[in-house]
Amino acid sequence: MVDVATTLEMVQASQAGMSAVGAGLAVGLTGVGTGLAEMGIGAAAVGATAENRDMFGLALLFTVIPETIVIFGLVVALLLLF
Amino acid sequence: MAGVSSGSAQYIYACTRLRVRKSLLIPREDYLRMLNMSLPEITRFIGETAYRSEIDELGTSFSGINLVEVALSWNLAKEYQSILELVPGDLKHFTASYLRRWDIQNVVTVLRGKMQKMQPGKIKEVLVPAGRLDRVVLDRLVAEESPERVAEALKGERFYPVIERELPGALETGSFAHLENELYKSYYARLIADAKEGVKGGDIFLKYIQLEIDIRNIQNLFRLRAGHVHEDVRELMIGGGSFTVDELQRLSGLESRDEFIDALKRQVKMVPLLNALEEIRGKTALHGIEVALTRVQLDQMERMSKRYAFSILPILVYLEKKKYEVANLRALARGKEAGLPGERLQGYLVM
Repeated sequence: MVDVATTLEMVQASQAGMSAVGAGLAVGLTGVGTGLAEMGIGAAAVGATAENRDMFGLALLFTVIPETIVIFGLVVALLLLF
Repeated sequence: MAGVSSGSAQYIYACTRLRVRKSLLIPREDYLRMLNMSLPEITRFIGETAYRSEIDELGTSFSGINLVEVALSWNLAKEYQSILELVPGDLKHFTASYLRRWDIQNVVTVLRGKMQKMQPGKIKEVLVPAGRLDRVVLDRLVAEESPERVAEALKGERFYPVIERELPGALETGSFAHLENELYKSYYARLIADAKEGVKGGDIFLKYIQLEIDIRNIQNLFRLRAGHVHEDVRELMIGGGSFTVDELQRLSGLESRDEFIDALKRQVKMVPLLNALEEIRGKTALHGIEVALTRVQLDQMERMSKRYAFSILPILVYLEKKKYEVANLRALARGKEAGLPGERLQGYLVM
């Protein structure tokens, strides 16, 4: 005969595991997305700064704008976990 | 994830650098201001722009018009060589092919100088070592005694077969025009071959080459009309553009100028070129026609470079615009030296 308490525990554990996997995916995939987005912007930023040093501040700002994507991922991950 | 590779980042880097450099070229307003300046003022003005280091460096050895001329050539050569260093992989391949035109110009200059027994120092002043043949190689060529020895020293270069074939005839007649035409024709044929080699981005490079050949052929047809040449022009036309050489021959045979422009317009699809041809109808001065056509080429290249934002085109646009900036400054300086009025000079500038 199946023990009801054990089954409930297993379901809860599997739910916690799934949300941990979800949180991991949320941070991981958004991290990859951010990286891809920053690749182009970063290359252009370095190019522009190499020609004109005054561009540095603005170029840095543009480069970190896609960081918002990974922050959204982090927020979703935290919501999932807590 | 097609198109996303480390290669694309390099393209973006190089194209952005050249876009920034393009934005630093001398704007139209400055040319208009320079038209009212005297030669020393122009020298000082360009000495405050990108040409500062050359003007400072050469200021002790040259003066007046020679200072401007040599500084412009040095700057152009330095700029082109630095671009060749910064562009990555496939783009370097195309840029190097494009820059070979300076090799042809330099070699023909050396041959002409040697033929006329010019001093090596004088020949060196007018060379622009912007191509594959660098200063060291050119110095060696300039030090040779005769045109034949110069040709001999070029053995192994891509264009050597053409020189070997055409040089005896050129020396006999004393005119290098035919040799020069053949060299440029082989240069364009080689460019097309390079573009079709299968290297990534070759199709975009080919678009530029065809545009350049078309504009060059149309300019040549107008020149020939101005010189009243109606004989066989097939020899003088460059193959590989959107017009065949036979079509160009037929166009050059047309008697009236209006008929010629109409026939040209029927064959052309590019809207800016159609508009320019319509404008040319009212112009008679050859330099005005040439400048209008060059303007169309530059505008069209710029438009294409926005469509293919990270390709060879932004680089070529900068190289071409830089070439015309140097040509404009040279024309301005020479014109001022000769005492020409500003309004007349304006017609010769590509702005």
